[in-house]
Amino acid sequence: MSKRIIYKNTDGTVAVIIPADCGLTIEQIAAKDVPTGLPYKIVDVSDIPSDRTERDAWMIDDTELTDGIGGDSNEFN
Amino acid sequence: MAIVLDGTTGISAPALTGLIDAANLTGVIAAAQITGALNASGSAPVFTCRAWVNFNGTGTIAIRASGNVSSITDYGVGMYRLNFTTAMPDANYAVIGSPSKPSVSSWVYWAQPRMPSEILAESVVIQTGYVSGTNAGNYNATQDLSDISVAIFR
Repeated sequence: MSKRIIYKNTDGTVAVIIPADCGLTIEQIAAKDVPTGLPYKIVDVSDIPSDRTERDAWMIDDTELTDGIGGDSNEFN
Repeated sequence: MAIVLDGTTGISAPALTGLIDAANLTGVIAAAQITGALNASGSAPVFTCRAWVNFNGTGTIAIRASGNVSSITDYGVGMYRLNFTTAMPDANYAVIGSPSKPSVSSWVYWAQPRMPSEILAESVVIQTGYVSGTNAGNYNATQDLSDISVAIFR
């Protein structure tokens, strides 16, 4: 898929979900794999930096996470 | 009654009821035939892989191929959560992680569950890195790796 799902972990770090070709839509994967209650944003893969030198310092503004809220499939984040 | 293809009236065929019901299938596929098809000799039982993935954990992280994995969550350097499309029956499954070496060296590269509390029926967090006996001051670390394979057995 050419899309990615981003959300902010409770410790402030940024998580990026890479969807698999599993028969689910990107929206279904977001609802299932984003931790419960966390807002997310679906973006193009080109929006994610390929340079991971500072990966652990990536940040995202909460106001950008407007595409939905994580479901209840995961028990931790 | 034969199967009839008619351009005006369509297709007519005999009812299939009774031809493929469970009673007629009983005994068609024997256990020995299944193990034989899998090239498994002897009497030991066969347990198949329940989920697997091969992915590039560097640069633009990408899944090359997978089965029963809906996504990977990139948590940071060398940390990835595998999310199962269909959950395991419980968290007591076996996790087999196998990274390829990114280059020819004597270093040891690893991919393993990060901690027991992150092995869940729905997902598992995998951490990757290396151990070096030659790099003074930097003998081990978490690291992104380019060719990571993980298989789940239960």
